[in-house]
Amino acid sequence: MSPKIVVVAVSLVLGFGGIAAAHHSNAAYDLDHPQTMEGTVKTVNWTNPHITFVIEKKDVKSGEPPSTWVFEVSSPGVLTRSGWTKRSLQPGDHAVFRYAPLRDGSPGGFLQKVTLPSGQELTYTLMPGEQ
Amino acid sequence: MNTVAKKLVIVCCAAALVEMFAVSRALAELPDFGGVWIPDVKDQKRQETANVPPWKPDILPQIQHMVAEEKAGRPFLVLSHCLPHGMPSWMLITHNAFELLTTPGRITMLGEVDGNRMRRIYMDGRPHPEDPDLTLHGHSIGHWDGETLVIDTIAIAPQAYIAISEAVGIPNNGDMHILERLHLAKPDVLYDDLEITAPKVLDAAWKTTRIFRRYPERHYEITEGECAQEDLTPGKDQFGNDIFVPNPQGPHGTVHTVK
Repeated sequence: MSPKIVVVAVSLVLGFGGIAAAHHSNAAYDLDHPQTMEGTVKTVNWTNPHITFVIEKKDVKSGEPPSTWVFEVSSPGVLTRSGWTKRSLQPGDHAVFRYAPLRDGSPGGFLQKVTLPSGQELTYTLMPGEQ
Repeated sequence: MNTVAKKLVIVCCAAALVEMFAVSRALAELPDFGGVWIPDVKDQKRQETANVPPWKPDILPQIQHMVAEEKAGRPFLVLSHCLPHGMPSWMLITHNAFELLTTPGRITMLGEVDGNRMRRIYMDGRPHPEDPDLTLHGHSIGHWDGETLVIDTIAIAPQAYIAISEAVGIPNNGDMHILERLHLAKPDVLYDDLEITAPKVLDAAWKTTRIFRRYPERHYEITEGECAQEDLTPGKDQFGNDIFVPNPQGPHGTVHTVK
């Protein structure tokens, strides 16, 4: 079974649907209603065409069960030019994530900004000079 | 080495130096297009509605459907694969940088994100081949018209999209011809005036200008990138060698949107 087929099969099982999308429009995300969540980085996929961060959300106070979120973001080239490195966010890092949520309600979204416990903000822009 | 041979070596070296000097001076007299260029994505967005291609009537419903689907949050995936954007979509909708190299007889554009995103523009006076193989970037020949770089591109694969966004586009379906005039609007602002003729999908030639900017003070470089990396993760083979293996993260390691 090819890697693509494995990925598609797993994604269908988990309800993400569709196909591995390569490089794509971000219309699946609700850019008009950004939200924030707090969590811990589990995995960094610093890859083209898009980077993804897997985040574990565990809120003891609310009593909600732990959940796994996927945040997609632009490409390594764009983030590098915006001052990030592939080590800017590492597994185990705790942070606040601002994101445009997936319209279908899945736990994930398009990452817009990260605020680290130190107060440092990680942002990015496609067009330099606007960051 | 005898005296005659020594003289011959000296003459040859001198000739080579003169030739190098002449070539570098010729290049120096032309406008400097070299460097890393970043697309003006805001202008790309503006043109999605402000400068719509003259789609043929039988193509228009497909476009309207894709626009509606994107608005509804179900974008059509123009780039649902790891092939290069191809021409003219690379120039029209990319969000990533490209690097332009000028060398004698050739201009080369190197892209980002997918490893085979590259345009070779032959400046040595050669014509297009008579029976070219079709490719996603086509066959490009160029020349200078004053301070404007004129590029003529044919032999583009019919599957290459004419895309106005990552969610709206139509394969050119064959016989496309692209004429580009690149010029510096400001020292670090490059305009690419495109005239796209695609008789299978467009009623008339479509003209659009795409804007690219460079930031020499920031010393940007393009980054290496292979689109297929998204489905892979570093791992080991049975001998302990470092290899890439299918990403075990499943949906977490790749991007999934509902089509």
